[in-house]
Amino acid sequence: MLTNYVEKVLAMLEVEVRRIMHDRTELYTRAVQPILWIGVFAPVMEKLRVVPIPNVTYMEFITPGVLVQSITFVSIFYGLTVIWERDLGVLNKLLVAPVSRSALVIGKALSAGVRGIFQSLIIILLAELLGVRIILNPFYLLLAAFLVVMFCAAFASLSIFIASLLKTRERFMGIGQAITMPLFFASNAIYPIALMPNWLKAVATVNPLSYAVEGLRALMITGDLATVPLDFLVSFIFVAITIVIASQTFNRIIE
Amino acid sequence: MNSVISVKNLVKVYDKVVRALNGISLEVQEGEIFGLLGPNGAGKTTLVRILTTQIPPTGGEAFILGKNIIEEADKVRELIGYVPQEISVMTDLTGYENMLFYSKLYDVPSSERKRRIENALNLVGLLDKANVVVKNYSGGMMRRLEIAQAIINYPKILFLDEPTIGLDPSGRKAIWSYLSQLMEEHEMTILMTTHYMDEADMVTDRLAIINFGKIVAVGTPSELKKSTKLESVTIVSKLHSNEVKKILSSLPFVKQVYDEEDGKGVTAYVENAEEAVVEIISLLKENSVNVESLSMNKPTLDDVFLAYAGTKLEETTSALEARKIRRTMQRMR
Repeated sequence: MLTNYVEKVLAMLEVEVRRIMHDRTELYTRAVQPILWIGVFAPVMEKLRVVPIPNVTYMEFITPGVLVQSITFVSIFYGLTVIWERDLGVLNKLLVAPVSRSALVIGKALSAGVRGIFQSLIIILLAELLGVRIILNPFYLLLAAFLVVMFCAAFASLSIFIASLLKTRERFMGIGQAITMPLFFASNAIYPIALMPNWLKAVATVNPLSYAVEGLRALMITGDLATVPLDFLVSFIFVAITIVIASQTFNRIIE
Repeated sequence: MNSVISVKNLVKVYDKVVRALNGISLEVQEGEIFGLLGPNGAGKTTLVRILTTQIPPTGGEAFILGKNIIEEADKVRELIGYVPQEISVMTDLTGYENMLFYSKLYDVPSSERKRRIENALNLVGLLDKANVVVKNYSGGMMRRLEIAQAIINYPKILFLDEPTIGLDPSGRKAIWSYLSQLMEEHEMTILMTTHYMDEADMVTDRLAIINFGKIVAVGTPSELKKSTKLESVTIVSKLHSNEVKKILSSLPFVKQVYDEEDGKGVTAYVENAEEAVVEIISLLKENSVNVESLSMNKPTLDDVFLAYAGTKLEETTSALEARKIRRTMQRMR
């Protein structure tokens, strides 16, 4: 029963990997913006010395933040692809197959994780070329990958939930930016929480994006793992809640 | 014969306002091709969606091979295959990859997958295109791939929602030749929707005519056509039409006689045109009427639809309009 469930989720992930293999242009075009942050914005800020950060360069500081922003963008549009698949009839066919609704949602959510991993690899590679030194500890990288997958799955599920409310592509289009940009700026992605005014500090503390950035920053840049257990806990709770909600509302997309 | 689909008083109301199904009951027998014929918006697709466990009905119940479509949805899903109205293949993957995905979703054992996929692709004539990315397929090829996908689990019942919509006549013919081959190889029942009269007439064993969420007639295409009692014989002669009408009216089986609109000839409505024509000819000879031409008119499914639904099928909304209406409805919700 459980193996059957896992096999079907894996089949959906396999489809995502095959899609990426057939057409990689999206991965490359989505790498442009992070490169501008890391390669242009960061060096300028570095010269101005406006953000005081101990031990690491500003470029190194924002790399995990920019990476998280990028994978948030990738994931937040999974709801849009679900609406798209509904319009094409692909979704109807999935719903008729002997697969439980939650397996379909988890399959979609982890597909976002798969794409997030590929996106992260490209960004990390380019960041290295720009002079960011990433900790090349396989155990750390594995934990970082796990965090990326959890985070992408959470945002993809959130996106599927939003799709089940909005139901049409037109309505969904603006939502992606309206959600991700505020979360990005109200997080520790490009400046430390300590520098923020109090009200923004409060927002940043409950912002799940902050914990993903903090965890990845620890695992990829600083190597100081003190916060990592909390980062994983918060991310896990975030993904669990969003998957449960999305599984319950999933069917509404076709009704 | 066993009834494999049993529908009892099914009702579907969208948003508490739109009554898409208004008490549908029907039985589909094992091994037949059963057609749902009706204009767009009649409720055909809604019925298929309910029977394929996608959406719950508002009222009534339905059984697929004895399994309740709501309480035993998991079991129903294992028994059926489904081709939706939309082109639903994943165009960014190859035909083989599409098949592989569905073979996994439908629990085809890994040892059997390759053989079954190749068989299915071969059956629909796509084996040589298996490794081509689907966006390079034609519309007809995509449809054939969908049918191959739908039979990967050897379903007992295949649901086809407008299987030939948007295809040219040769494409439609190809689909039906593949499907009939399929029915020979696997024991299957097909429930299909269509708004093509000729297709419904040619391929279905039995038909239900559906309009405004209700079934208005059920039967074989020829039964339905007979039931309209619209067969007729038209006679053109030099004799004055009133004379001809008088002669024809004397026959017991002639129900009504009319002048043709162009004034050239007289039409007699009868129950069976083939039998009537023999007697009409001999009677006209007896009366030494010089017949210039004589024709028999058989009702089409169009006439059947007109008789039962009160409108012509062609006059109802086009597929494009129906899709627009559907989109607007989705937006409303």
